Amino acid sequence: MSAAIELTGITKRFPGVIANDNVNLTVEKGEIHAICGENGAGKSTLMKILYGMQPADEGTMKVNGEEVVFSSPTDAIDRGIGMVHQHFMLADQLTVLENIILGAEPTTAGGAIKFKEAEAHLAEVAEDYGLTIDPDDMVESLEVGERQRVEIIKVLYRGAEILILDEPTAVLVPQEVEALFDNMRELKAGGATIIFIDHKLDEVLEISDSITVLRHGKTVASMPNDGVTAHDLAELMVGSELPTPDTTESTVTDHVALAIDDLTVADEDGRAVIENISLSIRKGEILGIAGVEGNGQGDLVDAIIGTTDILGGSIELLGSDLTKLSVRKRREAGIGYVPEDRHHEGLMLDAPLWENAALGHQTQEPYGSRWLLNRKGARAQTTTIKEEFDVRTPNIDVSAHALSGGNQQKLIIGRELTSNPSLLIAAHPTRGIDVGAQAAVWEQIRAARADGLATLLISADLDELIGLSDTIVVMLRGRLVARLAPEDVTPRDLGAYMTGAAHQDDNEAA
Amino acid sequence: MKWLQDQPAWIRWPIYALLGILLLTVVQSVSDTERLTATPTSREMLRWAVPIFLAGLGGLFSERAGVVNIGLEGMLILGMWFGAWGSIEYGPWIGLAIGMAGGAIGGALHAIATVTFGVDHIISGVAINILAPAITRYLSDEIWASPTTSPSTESVGDWDVPFLAGGTIFGWESPDILLTIDKWEWWFVSDVATLLRGLLRGTHWVAIIAILLVPATSWLLWRTRFGLRLRIAGENPSAGAAQGIDIVRYKYVAVIISGALAGLGGAFISTELSGLFQGGNSAGRGFIGLAALIFGNWRPGGVLIGALLFGYVFGLDLKDLDGTASHALLLVNTIVLVGVAAWAITRKRKADAILATILGALAFIWWVAAEAVPNWWSNILPYVLVLLVLVFFAQRLRMPAALGQPFRKGDT
Repeated sequence: MSAAIELTGITKRFPGVIANDNVNLTVEKGEIHAICGENGAGKSTLMKILYGMQPADEGTMKVNGEEVVFSSPTDAIDRGIGMVHQHFMLADQLTVLENIILGAEPTTAGGAIKFKEAEAHLAEVAEDYGLTIDPDDMVESLEVGERQRVEIIKVLYRGAEILILDEPTAVLVPQEVEALFDNMRELKAGGATIIFIDHKLDEVLEISDSITVLRHGKTVASMPNDGVTAHDLAELMVGSELPTPDTTESTVTDHVALAIDDLTVADEDGRAVIENISLSIRKGEILGIAGVEGNGQGDLVDAIIGTTDILGGSIELLGSDLTKLSVRKRREAGIGYVPEDRHHEGLMLDAPLWENAALGHQTQEPYGSRWLLNRKGARAQTTTIKEEFDVRTPNIDVSAHALSGGNQQKLIIGRELTSNPSLLIAAHPTRGIDVGAQAAVWEQIRAARADGLATLLISADLDELIGLSDTIVVMLRGRLVARLAPEDVTPRDLGAYMTGAAHQDDNEAA
Repeated sequence: MKWLQDQPAWIRWPIYALLGILLLTVVQSVSDTERLTATPTSREMLRWAVPIFLAGLGGLFSERAGVVNIGLEGMLILGMWFGAWGSIEYGPWIGLAIGMAGGAIGGALHAIATVTFGVDHIISGVAINILAPAITRYLSDEIWASPTTSPSTESVGDWDVPFLAGGTIFGWESPDILLTIDKWEWWFVSDVATLLRGLLRGTHWVAIIAILLVPATSWLLWRTRFGLRLRIAGENPSAGAAQGIDIVRYKYVAVIISGALAGLGGAFISTELSGLFQGGNSAGRGFIGLAALIFGNWRPGGVLIGALLFGYVFGLDLKDLDGTASHALLLVNTIVLVGVAAWAITRKRKADAILATILGALAFIWWVAAEAVPNWWSNILPYVLVLLVLVFFAQRLRMPAALGQPFRKGDT
């Protein structure tokens, strides 16, 4: 039996860069094949070539043993290859069914859509691969994981048997990742071949049958997932020892930077999303918050930053009350903020880097004064950030969306830390960025901690949380349910507290 | 209320309409006017509503495909001129078609500017609004030797509905049931009959076509491949392009249809209402169509309701020389605002409730203090209504997600 996909000697050059250098990839039928590598290793380029979005300069492609040349995704689709992009291509205000059939609508001669027939075909596909979805739901009402399922079904609906999933877990929370993996196993059982791109190694090891590692555009290893460890993979990916998030000796002082007392926050419907939370962060301390997403972590950040009203309690920074201050005043009082969603809250994607560097600090030196921007000062400061925080960009005038995720994040971290805050709120600071940038972000946070910065760290990456934090608290349904020392806690323990499986006495947690 | 919301639309809307008429009847019984529920009022309402609705429906096509069309007014003016010219040269029905073609030219211009050249949609629309009156003025001067008026045009005419409004069938005059009920002078029942008769007697053929366009548009946009692809152009064009859909083509077609519908509205004004082309006769109805589009939440039925509501305000004003009917309308406004305040309280929306109460109180004070209302009030009332809808119901309005955003081929 011939392999589902066989790429031989694929080379792709862009001006000044070789994105793929003589890459070989063989994917057997019915397997889950992981492709890992750092950002910029050439994974995406390779997949674009396989999906017909870009032509290869050299090399041959075989699908099910037949040599093929793709000039557009349509050719790839005809050969049974489908791709699920990292950023979903769905219309929120259309139904699931409308999104799925779009472009492949069964119609009468008059152009009316045969909705019954489409629904029947959808039900058939869903049953074959064990995926469930309600065709009449509006996409806007779906969770991220469900949207991804719609994308996968969309590809299957068109008859794809070879699926390319581009970083499917980057946008998902842990439980959704589990659900995705269950779906992937179902797909495999239904006879599909899956190629998926990922750089979270534990995930790769959990789900894949085979693994191909790319580095600097070259295939450095291709092997069955059999006795391979995360450590081995990481070394293959970066070509050196894997960085760890571990902090060294404690720098915690006695000076309290942030003190939250008896804080309660309600949502629009008046339900408490945060109930009677008290916590304090001292200078030089990193307080990690663990919790399944949606248990109030985001609301806590909003309350500190001032983007939501609080129902009761107090928030003090260095002894002065914040609760009556505007967001601007709070930022000026010394709060640095690395938001959870850098595209949505962290950057103006179409604006140049130097404007992005001033964002949130535009009323402060050296970016500007109360009324005016200081172009020269802002540009000089941006150049400093670029150099000190290793933001890889040709210059500071390119727009933010031209940067990779890791470099965008480094710019944000640099912007927040160079303003010398007393408190840094870091929400998922390394989400979706590669190992190299991750290590750099950790290093910067650690250095700031040594200089006496108080940090509130929220992360879904439990190893990161345990490695960086001086203290860990667990949030569940808007309350603090546990307070733990990172030295003697494992991700497994944390998971138990996060889901409510383990408990701690109230006075211990407070 | 809950029961009503569970009913299908064809039961719900007549009930809403009856409740509206009930409100008018109640207000009328404490006012010194009888025009709120008179036959001429509803007739004028429909005459005003048709061009507003056609412009609004044009806007619906364009905006559902993601192109903001503030140029509807200009396209309507082009339709007015070309409709009149076509009617004079080739007769009334062909005149309407030529009017549509005239509006479609405006639409094509807007499509070229916004879709192909990426010009800001508002700027292109405003340019068309400035261009259209100038072009028609020039053409009038060239062809009719008068910059502002044409010779009189021929109309496609109107129709009385048999039995209900005394229409004739093959020369036999059927009974006029609604008139009979009207003459009984029963409270509320006769008011309903009177208003209904205004809609069914002397009904323009174009009005009938316009009403039929509501289900036709719903079917086209929500049940056909063409409609789905047109809507994806306004919701998420990149997603459509990724499925091999020619987004640019759909945007072009949508904006051209948009212009044609606005053009039909314009041709209706010149050939059916005025009986000639006269510069300035559009009276801003293209803009009001845009307001009806927002009021109607980008849905065909909603646009029709918005157009009828605005048409009512204008239609009422037209025969209301002493301002007493518009004055009575203030009391209607008061009652509606009190209703909005009550609704806001049940939704725990404090700011909305306070604002609605204040506005309701102002309307009430005005109603008590004044005997009549100056006629500028009814001219701005449609816009006031749209502002109120935006203030109180903005969260329920859903414009197409990619409305106004430029689309370039190859964007992902």
